[in-house]
Amino acid sequence: MVHALREAHRVLKPGGLLVDARPDSRVLAHAEHENAHGFSRFGTVRTNTTELANDRASDHAIALVVSGGLFTRRRRGRFWHRVPFASLAELRHYLSEHIRFVHRANWIVDEATRRRYANEPFAIRRAVRYDVFSRRATDKPRRPKAVGE
Amino acid sequence: MSPIGDVGKRVPIPSSALRPDPLNELSKWGGTPLVRGKRVLDLGCGDGRFALGVARFAAAVEGIDPDPEAIAAARQNRRKSGIRNVRFAVGAAQELSYPNESFDVVILSWTL
Repeated sequence: MVHALREAHRVLKPGGLLVDARPDSRVLAHAEHENAHGFSRFGTVRTNTTELANDRASDHAIALVVSGGLFTRRRRGRFWHRVPFASLAELRHYLSEHIRFVHRANWIVDEATRRRYANEPFAIRRAVRYDVFSRRATDKPRRPKAVGE
Repeated sequence: MSPIGDVGKRVPIPSSALRPDPLNELSKWGGTPLVRGKRVLDLGCGDGRFALGVARFAAAVEGIDPDPEAIAAARQNRRKSGIRNVRFAVGAAQELSYPNESFDVVILSWTL
């Protein structure tokens, strides 16, 4: 990942922008039932451990190139995105094949409630994080700070 | 294994259909001024969802992805859309074939 970020730095003009946007695994996704008043939370969905480790590796790579002086952070934030499903079965199928999420939701409503609304629309509401960096003009990267320095 | 088979993460093409609308995503990052009139590189472009979505604001967009099937889908989507200022190529983010300082914006959308 650091190699990819170094390449991004190489092809960017000085002052050019790098945007890193990806699912935010630091917060739980929500399984929601859609009703006449909006959405109500039926459960939560965790990111699987492999992808959590990948996300930490990505965070580490970003931290290295920033502390190394290649990029300066300009802006960061998070927004929420809903993936809609026609029914609970569709949502379950989506989770069963998902690369990032664990394959089962942790339900906070009982089974009878889930069964009652099973044929109504559902959604997964997930967080997306983003960082906007600018390429530093210098051609001389700084030495990354050592731990405790 | 292809020369780029051991780098980059391959994600199924249909997954892009479940991602945020590109203009909505762009609006969160800072809106159209971020790409307006600029040369943009979309690393890990998949089927071209983001590259094609923002192309009308940019001067030119290049999209690369390690998955040849994704690039084939991106090219097909470009033909359907009629957009002319976007090019797609198979490639890895770790080994870019572009000259130094050739882009104003590099996007890693759901890539790292």
